[in-house]
Amino acid sequence: MASLGSVTAALRVVEALEAIASRCVGPEGGQVLCTKPTGEVLLSRDGGRLLEALHLEHPLARMVVACVSSHLKKTGDGAKTFIIFLCHLLRGLHAIREKDSFTSETTQTYERHWKNCCQWKSISQALLTFQTQILDCIVDQYLSRHYLSIFSLSAKGRTLCRRSLESLLEAYLCGRVGRNNHRFISQLMCDYIFKCVACKSSIEVFELVDNCFVELNIGVTGIPVSGSRIVDGLVLHRDFSVYCPADGDIRMVMVTEVLQPLFSSSKSEFILDSEAQFQASQCWIVERTKAVMKHLHSQNIKLILSSVKQPDLVIYCARLHGISVVECLSSEEVSLVWRITGLPPCVLPQVSSQGEISDTTLVKFCKPLILRSKRYVHLGLVSTCAFIPHCVILCGPVLGLVQQHESAFHGAFKMLRQLFTDLDLNYIIQTNTQSDSSPLAYHNSRECNRLPEIGKYQDIIVKSENKLKNTQTHLKVYSNVVASDTELETHVPWSAHKETPIHTSQTNDILKCLSPEKNWKIDDCELFIESNPTGNPTAEDTRTEISYENVQVTNNPGKEYTLPVMYKSLDACTSQGYCSSTIPAGCVLPVGGNFEILLHYYLLNYAKQCRQSAEAMVSMLISDALLGLPKTLYKPKKGKDSFPQIYIRSLRALQTSQAMVSGQSGLEPVAGKYQLVASVIQCLAKILTIDLIINIKRQPQKIDDQDSEDELEH
Amino acid sequence: MALNGAEVDDFAWAPPTEAETKVLQARRERQDRISRLMGDYLLRGYRMLGDTCADCGTILLQDKQRKIYCVACQELDSDVDKDNPALNPQAALSQAREHQLASTTEPATGSRPTPQPPVPRPEHCEGAAAGLKAAQGPPLPAAPLNTDVVAYTQTALLQKLTWASAELGSSTSLETSIQLCGLIRACAEALCSLKQLQL
Repeated sequence: MASLGSVTAALRVVEALEAIASRCVGPEGGQVLCTKPTGEVLLSRDGGRLLEALHLEHPLARMVVACVSSHLKKTGDGAKTFIIFLCHLLRGLHAIREKDSFTSETTQTYERHWKNCCQWKSISQALLTFQTQILDCIVDQYLSRHYLSIFSLSAKGRTLCRRSLESLLEAYLCGRVGRNNHRFISQLMCDYIFKCVACKSSIEVFELVDNCFVELNIGVTGIPVSGSRIVDGLVLHRDFSVYCPADGDIRMVMVTEVLQPLFSSSKSEFILDSEAQFQASQCWIVERTKAVMKHLHSQNIKLILSSVKQPDLVIYCARLHGISVVECLSSEEVSLVWRITGLPPCVLPQVSSQGEISDTTLVKFCKPLILRSKRYVHLGLVSTCAFIPHCVILCGPVLGLVQQHESAFHGAFKMLRQLFTDLDLNYIIQTNTQSDSSPLAYHNSRECNRLPEIGKYQDIIVKSENKLKNTQTHLKVYSNVVASDTELETHVPWSAHKETPIHTSQTNDILKCLSPEKNWKIDDCELFIESNPTGNPTAEDTRTEISYENVQVTNNPGKEYTLPVMYKSLDACTSQGYCSSTIPAGCVLPVGGNFEILLHYYLLNYAKQCRQSAEAMVSMLISDALLGLPKTLYKPKKGKDSFPQIYIRSLRALQTSQAMVSGQSGLEPVAGKYQLVASVIQCLAKILTIDLIINIKRQPQKIDDQDSEDELEH
Repeated sequence: MALNGAEVDDFAWAPPTEAETKVLQARRERQDRISRLMGDYLLRGYRMLGDTCADCGTILLQDKQRKIYCVACQELDSDVDKDNPALNPQAALSQAREHQLASTTEPATGSRPTPQPPVPRPEHCEGAAAGLKAAQGPPLPAAPLNTDVVAYTQTALLQKLTWASAELGSSTSLETSIQLCGLIRACAEALCSLKQLQL
């Protein structure tokens, strides 16, 4: 094992994994039948599940799968793309090595090995530099022109557009769920989201659903998938110990301790001298318990939720007084109820005291729910947070299918959570000019906003005396914005038409398009262009102002439609050149490898302009590898929809600043894609720093912290 | 790969020649096949080990019976098989041509019998026959053929024909019958070619 370089070894391993991933990626991909080591058969398209189901003893394979899993925990998406991208990167590096091996055959093995190791380490460094500096810069400055938004502007403010959300979820689920079910499941998910979201602050909701998804869903086997539905309120995975139907107001209290007093508490002694004392103690306990339950009844408590098992006496008293009891709730359910209702568990002294119990809340209803042969508790909680409690009941003929749908649902919420969070980007712009305070002439928009040969934009990055003037102009664009102007980057609109782009007006006239007089309609959904006000100016330069524009875009019959375009205003780039920006929440791009093709194009241009050969080499390597995914996605297609045709069309559109045509109607989040590229580069950098692989026979336990990956390598 | 501009190797690099490109291409295709097979086995429940095969360097797999399995050695045809004339008609053709060339450059007395190509195995009769038939296309060099050898080959072919006919008569399986018919056809064609050679 030590004789093979780590790149070659990693390439062999990842190629085998890629052979699996490429078969089920994308809408054309099929389901994969996998036999787990335990003998169970798994039929799935979900990359994460498949990779975890494989029996891999190779240390590099385990490391790669661990990287994929940790990426999935963050984003919920992209396992197969991860593997395919990583494979193409390794192939690119391997090709570099092969090219090198043609020239330097004469050096000794040890020297060559050492030379290789040093080279790989420096490439690894270059990769990390790329990921921290160049990637952020390119994504922020170039890709941001192409963003679309999943939000729509209405009278109430920024709201989720249902159609966009549907197409986003459909695109997400078509890679995870069988073809016959994915439309139904995506509709179900859309309904669920719109039912749960009370107001604008969706991010809280997604966070809550992501964290507590296990408690918010019920899996039922034996019923067809179409039996899945959404129920109002919360369904507890427990049955009533005592059920007393009640009308009117139902007050509820939560307890985490036993209501019956015990003989003794811990760390104390209870000394008995005689039988009579024992009898007396028992009587006292019985009396106390009855008093507690009577007190609860007097407070009009009709429901007790308990996280521990209550003794029989408590149950008996509860039945006498007509109080329903649910026992043995998990701590997650208790905390979920607490979070939704704001009701903390009631402490015992308060319950047993004679005064009013403050920690109670009203519930709308409380009844048993029977699904197949299992009974659940169905509570109608009154929410005090942004989340309107609903539960989803997922049905399936077999357990495996139910589990797949559950994990698809859960992953979608992770993805949405990331989508609705702003993602920070930080990079350094090298410049040696001071930005003037003179206001930019508005008519200079042509010069600034036109998509030039990338040279003009590259000047920000490259120190050059010759291009000082352009750099200054460009900086002016960023730092001096008058409130009434819409000072924005070049916008390249999207078109979902296969034939002609809808936005025939080119970027030179972009400001005209944005004027409120020209309105196009799209049903009743107003789309808008948003500027994002994030970032910290670190100098005295003026901040970019935010302006909202209202643009309505024509809707087209059929599946294709144009979406609102997203503007991102750059934050103040200071004279030191440190830029902080974000990928705003809600940024999406059409599916079908568009992110990859865009990034590939801009990276290629960057590499051509780049001075340093290491940076150029890394950019070229990544740029070539990025095309691997669209190639895989379009492999089954022929003719006009084949990859070369799509590639040429996209390049042509980019070079002439026209609208890019997207043949597919799905959407994917930009933040997720960006995170994927960053994760893959980090994984690759880790692989390159491996000098020696030592195989251990003992399988390490699955620990969810970072250290486990280090153990695997050593 | 130039990490700093001072690398002299970079200036000495020339693009790979056609032969080298072919080798690279063949290697890549072979690697793709190996990866596909390995992916299949992994999905079937095989375990990917951390060791590599001593012969070819491919990652080893282990099945549920704990048997070690190398995909490249045990399943994929090796690289050198294409040079074996018994398995490849092209190789047989090139070997036949070599021998013909060698026999023309020998002194005209030709007392020494020319080395003959190995008698092809019956299962690969078609391959060899195809190779020989292709050799008929271009005009033959005017080399006298040893009639003994031709007669020997004819006898062998006739023997095989007889055997195959007997087997065909007694065979009950469809597959075997089809294969035997193929063999008979190949032998007949070989005999025709030999007869043409004699003329």
